[in-house]
Amino acid sequence: MGGTPFGKSLGDLGGSGRERARRRGQGQLEAQVLAALHHSSGPATAAWVQQRLGGDLAYTTVMTILSRLHAKQAVTRERSGRAYVWTPAADEAGLAALRMRRVLDGEPDRDAVLASFVSALSAHDEQLLRTLLDRAADDGPAPGAAAPDGPGHRDPSDHTPGG
Amino acid sequence: MGVFVFLPLVLPVTALPIARLAEQHLHPRVSTRLLTLLAAVLGLCSTLCLGLLMVVGTAQLPGNPLPDGWSDPEVRAAVPYAEIAGAAAIPLLAAALTACGATLRRHRRIRARAHRALDVLPAGADPAVLPDDEPYAYAVPGTPARPGRPARPGRIAVSRGMLHSLDEDERRALLAHERAHLRCRHHRYLLAVRLAGCVNPLLLPLRSAVAFATERWADEEAARTVGDRRLTARAVGRAALIARPGAAPELAHFAAPEPGPVPRRVAALLGPVPPARHWPPALTPAGLAALVAAAGTAASALSALNAAVALFLVLKAATPL
Repeated sequence: MGGTPFGKSLGDLGGSGRERARRRGQGQLEAQVLAALHHSSGPATAAWVQQRLGGDLAYTTVMTILSRLHAKQAVTRERSGRAYVWTPAADEAGLAALRMRRVLDGEPDRDAVLASFVSALSAHDEQLLRTLLDRAADDGPAPGAAAPDGPGHRDPSDHTPGG
Repeated sequence: MGVFVFLPLVLPVTALPIARLAEQHLHPRVSTRLLTLLAAVLGLCSTLCLGLLMVVGTAQLPGNPLPDGWSDPEVRAAVPYAEIAGAAAIPLLAAALTACGATLRRHRRIRARAHRALDVLPAGADPAVLPDDEPYAYAVPGTPARPGRPARPGRIAVSRGMLHSLDEDERRALLAHERAHLRCRHHRYLLAVRLAGCVNPLLLPLRSAVAFATERWADEEAARTVGDRRLTARAVGRAALIARPGAAPELAHFAAPEPGPVPRRVAALLGPVPPARHWPPALTPAGLAALVAAAGTAASALSALNAAVALFLVLKAATPL
């Protein structure tokens, strides 16, 4: 599903199946490049990364992936002579997130293995859920609940009025 | 034996109403166990029945390694439409076994891939917090030890996006929910019903019923751990609202659509604690449902056993050895 790891979302919501397949391929390559950079003892050039990956990828492809990782703040770069040298900025957690995303996007039928906290909502479910939560909040503060639960607090990321 | 030979293939039809009744009236723990047991027994009986039909119906075919005596007239007289049933049983059995194999392989592959993804994080990182803005939380089941590889404990993977959108108390509820999944080994129930669905498609309704029951079970465990049902309900509801609204496939509904799993879970958490009795009283709908379920399972098991024993005796008498 859409969204990108590491900070900024590039705004690729949903998308067609082809779009998703393309993104999955990108995710795999990004994880490979990042893993290669982690094996380097210091800043590495794109040519070094290309060699490290076995030379299957074109130099321009490696450069594209490195630039994309840079846009996601997963790598940093500095100029050395006429070329850039690259250093991984994402730590192990970042790499794990990239790999996990690969599993989630690549396995549509994963629900029996990886129990997700919540499943997706339909529009009708969403409306119903908001009604339920509002009614629960109106019934007074829950025993032991900490923060006062105003409407703005309840819904920080997705403030759409009505369904 | 007559047409009763085919009973184990058809009895799984009872799975759907039983699943409905169990969800409404039983504690999710009891419901999960009962429905999984039902799926396992009905699935096994159905497979056994298919295997016997195949033996009887096809023992006579040229090139078959089975003894010709196994398809003597008296044996075939025991099974109505022996040739047709036997020929039909071959592809059905093959399809069932292939589907089971594929399901098992996929289960192992997804589990291994998820563990490999989390391997770069230290083993003590619990939960494994992943720097990803997409809100998600998963329980990754542990893997048993194999030669040359130690056992891996189950892990919880939560994205930063999920953690940031919940407050401190709600995070505790979320983690308690995921830990309950691992502690109660919910993935085993889910795998068992999935295999049953591969063996007999009539058992497919049990798949979503058990998936829902395990979620409810984990919700109840989480509510018990944090000691607040309403807080747990809020955590589930808010997590669902931030997790990409509108991503679910929208089917065309003619009437008011039935509420999905998340609103039902929240509503159940906002309601009273479900009764934790192991067996409901007999004269309530729940008790009747349990009785029907038990009777159906027993009937299926007995008829499969009956068919197996009768066929075994007939085949033994027909074998010249």
